[in-house]
Amino acid sequence: MRRILIIDDEDDIREVAALSLEATAGWKVFTASSGMEGLAVAAAEQPDAILMDVMMPEVDGPATFRKMQQDPTIAHIPVLLLTAKVQGVDQRRFASLGVAAVLLKPFDPLTLAHQISEVLGWSED
Amino acid sequence: MKNEEAQIGTLLANLWERSLPTLHERLNILDRAALEGISGNLSETSRIEALNVAHKLSGTLGMFGRHQGTEIAREMEQLLSAPIPAAALPRLVTLAASLRQALFPN
Repeated sequence: MRRILIIDDEDDIREVAALSLEATAGWKVFTASSGMEGLAVAAAEQPDAILMDVMMPEVDGPATFRKMQQDPTIAHIPVLLLTAKVQGVDQRRFASLGVAAVLLKPFDPLTLAHQISEVLGWSED
Repeated sequence: MKNEEAQIGTLLANLWERSLPTLHERLNILDRAALEGISGNLSETSRIEALNVAHKLSGTLGMFGRHQGTEIAREMEQLLSAPIPAAALPRLVTLAASLRQALFPN
């Protein structure tokens, strides 16, 4: 079973994404509502991937990602950034950080697991 | 897939109901910013607060199938991303009213 960590300060997004991944793919989902909490959960749970919002108060997604890259216990975990910024220039800027992918919000709860699997090359058996 | 669709549909419907008070607060913030703008009193604090609200709405409404709401919130976010020229302030008022109407049609 895949294990995934969702980091987002919006309660609704965490809840919908978690249920979507559990219901459509049977994944085990962990959640965190801030970048700092996400770092701790990632280190403790060692998920297979991290889905993280870009815009969060205090430590945002890109800053959290940089902290993850500096921590050898979690630097190997692929990170997908979630953003509501639709402009290509923003998406290219986020992609250039070295994340596995940049996904657009709002996402479709019925296809989110498929989208993540496709990007990470996971089989969906 | 049918069961999953039904399960997610039910969760989204429940979550939508539960998030209505927050949604109304957010729409009020956008209305207030639009009214402050049109009367020449939009402070930077109010603009940034409204910008953050528009950003959150553009990222969440579509998840609930409210795609028109996402499009309107996106345009508001764009408009609020810098101090708004006076000529564009009526557009902000129109968008705030359109967003409310799109989410809660009479």
